[in-house]
Amino acid sequence: MEKKKFDVGLYGFTGCNGDQLTIIHSEDKLLDFFGSANIKTFSLAKSDNDDSALDIAFIEGSISNQEQAEHVKEIRERSRFLVALGNCACNGGIQAMELGREGWDHRFQQVYGDAFLDNRTPIESKPIDMFVKVDFYMTGCPIDADQFLYCYGHFLRNELPVMPDYPVCAECRWKENECLLLKGILCVGPLTNAGCGARCPSHRLPCLGCWGVVNEANVAAEFDLLKEKGFTADDIKRRFRIHTGSGIMKPLKDILGVV
Amino acid sequence: MAEIIIEPLSRVEGEGGITIRTDGQKVKEVHFDILEGTRLIETLVIGKTPEEDVSITCRICAICTISHRYAALRGLEKALGIEVPPKAQALRTLMHLGELLESNSLHVFLLALPDFVGYPNAIAMAEKYGDDVLKALALKKYANRIMAVTSGRMIHGENPTVGGFGRYPDVQNLLDIKKQSEAMLPVADRAVELLAGISIPDFFESETVFMCCEPDAKEYGLVGDRIRISTGEVIPVEQYKELTNEKFVGHSAAKHCLFRGKPYTVGAIARMNNLGERMGGHAAKLFKKQWNKRWLVNPVFNNMAQAIEMVWALEQVPKIVDTILQYKEDPEIVKPTRTSGEGVGAVEAPRGVLYHWYRIQDGLVAAANLIIPTGQSLEDIEKYLRKAVEALLSRGADDQSIRMQSEIIARAYDPCISCATHLVKIEREIK
Repeated sequence: MEKKKFDVGLYGFTGCNGDQLTIIHSEDKLLDFFGSANIKTFSLAKSDNDDSALDIAFIEGSISNQEQAEHVKEIRERSRFLVALGNCACNGGIQAMELGREGWDHRFQQVYGDAFLDNRTPIESKPIDMFVKVDFYMTGCPIDADQFLYCYGHFLRNELPVMPDYPVCAECRWKENECLLLKGILCVGPLTNAGCGARCPSHRLPCLGCWGVVNEANVAAEFDLLKEKGFTADDIKRRFRIHTGSGIMKPLKDILGVV
Repeated sequence: MAEIIIEPLSRVEGEGGITIRTDGQKVKEVHFDILEGTRLIETLVIGKTPEEDVSITCRICAICTISHRYAALRGLEKALGIEVPPKAQALRTLMHLGELLESNSLHVFLLALPDFVGYPNAIAMAEKYGDDVLKALALKKYANRIMAVTSGRMIHGENPTVGGFGRYPDVQNLLDIKKQSEAMLPVADRAVELLAGISIPDFFESETVFMCCEPDAKEYGLVGDRIRISTGEVIPVEQYKELTNEKFVGHSAAKHCLFRGKPYTVGAIARMNNLGERMGGHAAKLFKKQWNKRWLVNPVFNNMAQAIEMVWALEQVPKIVDTILQYKEDPEIVKPTRTSGEGVGAVEAPRGVLYHWYRIQDGLVAAANLIIPTGQSLEDIEKYLRKAVEALLSRGADDQSIRMQSEIIARAYDPCISCATHLVKIEREIK
């Protein structure tokens, strides 16, 4: 007997759509992807979307208004398994780089003034796990297409994939790149989750941390190391915060007393 | 009073919708709604280094990531007194062509065509047009490869940086890209053929103004420090505020753009209308065959403009690869000659003119202003939607066909809502 196909939905909240686009970019496998499950919702790719119960919900983007917060909760209620797709959903993305600090109201006013859409209530952008339980995190800015398909295949078999839980420095060493920290370049590789294949250091450019903070990152050691190299606390903090959103808040608070 | 709400508008990039309010035969309101969440990007780049700015602003949009990066680089490099060497310049041209091919092929084949052949999406369309969908995906894949090879990744590649590139691609990759361009030409040709067989409705036609970058050499191109307007004027990009925000200068919240109080259109159709005559090769033949005066009054021809532009871009690739390969040495990243200054960079994103203006002080971004193509076309999108709805109502059209035609018009602009969002305020009146 043929197994019933899973019902799958892909949703995009606030971000650049790069994670959904990464899936569309897996050209050779795109028709297989659509054939392997009932793709109920994929707004970027199709117009006959519906809002029925799902086996797997993939959520891209951060939550930046009350309506999105309600929507993500509603998706959670009808989804068996919920995956945060990409850095915005997992950590809040670049729009959450100031998360935990004062001043969002002022910045909002600078851009939009006093008026705003009457059917949207904006809030400071936050990762989705501040609103709903997330079953699986797939980070990256954007996600990696091969890693997505690897995970997706596991999900369809009701299995959990094994993800890298080490810093990108490991991948960088495998590529035999010269360590940029040794050259005095501000690289946040030691804090950053592997998975991208150390793309930036392989182009002789520093890691900016777009895959989020790795579990058990030794933030204090990296901080001290960079200070020894002559960078100021402001330089280091600024660089740490660009892509890491909620992921770096607690470590920074522990080290500096402020985010 | 009746209301038709299309939300979300699917098969566009980002969260948007259309609201139409009617009273009998009269159109009360037509709004192209930008519903995407706010990110406040302009406030986030303040205090960052130029390199950090580039890494942040490219993430405004996944489809236009290279154009954002390129516009930012041009603005920042002007501010910092950097002139990049010819090899870096040529590689930037190639990465930009890759993005144009990717974006245009995605829109023409996968987002726009399903409407015209009667399918809800390209995957369903594959049942009758399987070969075309597969070839379209092959072209998209090729374009993605160009972006990956040049920028370091398909989306948000960090290789193009302030002063040049981190690393230049190896010769074999570039030669492969050159070789494959020829094989892709028939795919772009097929897009032109498919679109040529479709009749474009004319009941909303009306005149407008078109704007695009004026390339330095007198040829078709995607970059320039001046803007060509269909009125015949050519204006330096430093006057970007007058070009885009004339009605609302100084009021940062109001981001619907107008040129001298009038709506205008940017994007492939603007480039073709303003510069199409300058193309050579096979693209020039297609342009001569397909272009007609209706292109000046009907935005749905943007789909065809994008298709012909793909042919043009594929014909450019071998030439630009040869240019890159002619420089044997990989130049070092050029250092800034000053730590403070101002600069505006403009490039043609797939959807039209994209401006990045920066003021740098002591090596950090002190102020930024980004003006996005979809924001510039918004007034025109609404103008054409209104005309279409008026005409359809007078013919007694039902909601379903109003909905369908409105989506076709809005989608023809290939709106990029992620891009537009942080710049656009929509004022909606509730009655």
